[in-house]
Order: sequence, then C-alpha cells, then structure tokens
Amino acid sequence: MLEKECIQSRGFRNVSEDGKKVGFQVCFRSLYYRGVWLSQLRPATVIVDDETFSGDQVTWMIGGKVYLQDELAKFGNVNWPLLEPAILTVRKPGGLKQGFHDIEVQYSYSSSYMPPGMDELMVKLQGRITRRLILV
Amino acid sequence: MAAFSPKTGKPKRGVSLYSYSGEYGVTMTMEDMFADIHDLGAEGLEILANAHIEGYPEPTDAWIENWFRLLAKYAIKPVEYGHWIDSRLYPGRELSTKESYDMLLRDIKLANKLGFPLLRTKLGVIDDDLTPVKNWREFIAMALPDAEKYNVRMCPEIHTPTVLKSKMVDDYVEFIEKQKTKQFGINIDFSVFQTNPLPMWEGQDMSTLKFSPVEDIVPLLPYTYVCHAKFQNMSDDFIETTTPYDKIIGLLIEHGWNGYLLSEYEGVNKDVPGYSSAQLRRQHILMKRILGQD
Repeated sequence: MLEKECIQSRGFRNVSEDGKKVGFQVCFRSLYYRGVWLSQLRPATVIVDDETFSGDQVTWMIGGKVYLQDELAKFGNVNWPLLEPAILTVRKPGGLKQGFHDIEVQYSYSSSYMPPGMDELMVKLQGRITRRLILV
Repeated sequence: MAAFSPKTGKPKRGVSLYSYSGEYGVTMTMEDMFADIHDLGAEGLEILANAHIEGYPEPTDAWIENWFRLLAKYAIKPVEYGHWIDSRLYPGRELSTKESYDMLLRDIKLANKLGFPLLRTKLGVIDDDLTPVKNWREFIAMALPDAEKYNVRMCPEIHTPTVLKSKMVDDYVEFIEKQKTKQFGINIDFSVFQTNPLPMWEGQDMSTLKFSPVEDIVPLLPYTYVCHAKFQNMSDDFIETTTPYDKIIGLLIEHGWNGYLLSEYEGVNKDVPGYSSAQLRRQHILMKRILGQD
C-alpha cells in the first residue's frame, strides 16, 4: 500500500555511482484519480531546503525505466500507473546530508476533458506538494 | 427511433469505483472495494480503466483471472468501463482522427475482454464550455462497427456545467439518429440536476449554478444507457441534500427505465478511511427506499 502523503518516505535516499554520491531520489504518488500517459506529464521541479532542481537535473523512473524530462512528451503509450510511485532522481554531487530535509515537488499534466487552460494547473489546484523527510 | 427504448423494469443499483478514489491503494485494496459494494446489495460496478486495471492497457492473464474471480465471489456485474480519449495526449497538438480511433479501439477490446457492455467514453474538449473536439463524429463513426463487433456501447457523460437542453446533447442525439446506431448513447450524471449547495457553500451565491429541470431527462431516456448517480452529501436521515433524488428516480421508474444507477461519491472527506463507504451505504438506503426494495 502507498503512504497517504503524496511524497513517499519510502525510497528517499542518496544515489551513488562508482562509490560516489551523485544525487538523491525521492518517490511520489499521483494524487489524481487515474493513471496518466507519460506524454501528459509536464517536467517536474524538485525543491529541497530552498535549493531548486529542474530540467535535466531530474529524471523520472516509471515501470523500472528511466526517462529524461524532455523525453516524457514522446511516450504516449506508456502509462504511469496510479498505484506506482514515480521515482525522481535528482543530480546533486555529494548527495544530501543525513537528517531532515524539506522536499517540494512541482509538476503538472494535461487532462483532455478539462478546459485546455487547466493543463498547467492540474496539480497546483490541489495545493503544494511538500513533506519533511529524513535521510539516513 | 433508432435507440433501444426499454419500457419495463426498474433502475438497477451499481457503484463506480471512483467513489473510493481517496482510499484506493492507500487504505483500500481492489478486493476491499468489491466487498464494500457487495454489502450494499448493488448488482454492478464501473471501473476507470487507467486507475483500476493493473498493467493497463495490457493487463496480465493473472490480473484478468483475478478480475473474474472477484466478480464471481462478490456477485457483481461489470457494467461500465470508464475510459478517456486523451485528445491532448501530446503537448502542442491534438490527436488525429486515426490516433483517437486507435485509442478508442484499444479500450473497446479491453472492455469486452473484461465483460463490460458499456463504455463511459470521455471525449477531449476544446474550450471552457466543454465543447468536444471537432473530430469526435469521425472517430466515433469509425468505431461503430467495432463497438457492434465487441458488443459495447459508447456513452459520453453529460455532466455539470453542461445542461440537458444544450447543443452538446442535441449534437449527440442527432448523431445517434443519423447513424441509426445503438452503439453510441449517453450517460447522464445527476450533477446536471443539482439544485442545492453543499453545506460548506451555504450563503454563497448559487445564481450561476446551471441545472436542468428533472423532466428534461424524459426525451433523452431512449438514448440513456446508464446514469451516474452522482451524490455529494447524504444526511443522517438518508436524504441527498443537493440533488432531488426522489424526483429523478421516480421519473425513471415511471418511464420504465431499467438501466444502472452507478453511485459516484464526489463529496468531502474522500481520503478519510470509511467516510466514502458510509456515504455509499446511506445513498443506497435512499435508492432502495425509492426503488421499493427491502
């Protein structure tokens, strides 16, 4: 089962390559009531302790595959299942320090049965997605 | 008149799994929802394809096997398969007619595979008035033979702020008559009949709320294959405070309409464990009373 909060505690950790911390990952679930196709997603911004990461600093992992943010728009046949948290991997040399971190995730998606102007607002209307997490 | 026009029987009770959207995956499993619906004595359900089908659009055989196990175990019929033609699937452009048809056909086949006779076909819109995409007639017409082959009926939903006497509904009816088809109809969502505000809106200006007189449903019944029994606030004495349920269902009974009323809870506290379930229980007491069921 998923955690009720949008930003999940499970999965929050640093990411290492060749023994070096190169960034961190944070998982979040969709608060929409249906899964969306990847091409409906708009690029995400992750804010950690007032430091902002966006564009190619962030990648998505869905269904075990990694997607660059500017590639999402191509995948109209891949679904982000409702019950699967997306894993955002954020490039930050050295990773995050042990302890508390304030995380915010911003993203949006299109919803074709709503007026077109809503596409950039779908998540904002539900309020900010934030959570204080603990990195071990 | 082209469309099927039932003259006998009464509406049947069902539930849309949308009602549990605040709890699904967090505090309720798929089987929990089935067990809940079984307690209501409801006969049928609606799923939302890309919410409830694991692995959508290609569920595994194991998932499909479990799906039929749940239907049998809880004696529930698949009634409506909610799906979307996401016209704005790709940023900056609308889907072509062929792309829309392909998306639709994929869902027609899957709905049939899972035993659904009806599709709640949600069309993309182009403006604030929810006018459907310009090419809807083309791709729906292309899919009519497929819908016949796979024995399903596509039903866009008529939902507030749309009213029943509107160009949108007129256009759908004209299309049905012109095509002389039974594979395309409408799903009327009871939100179009909402006359009273929710308790938390009390005191607010309701003059801009557009709603349809209940009688406006009568000429549309031959095209109405299913209704969303939208509800938002069930009181302790089992009254839906926003929408004239007695009048709506009374009229459906009077006209021998025997389709499904699929409960769709859209009120507050959807993420509070047990809240939507309790609202559904209250609503089904209301509907059983109106339908004269024990």
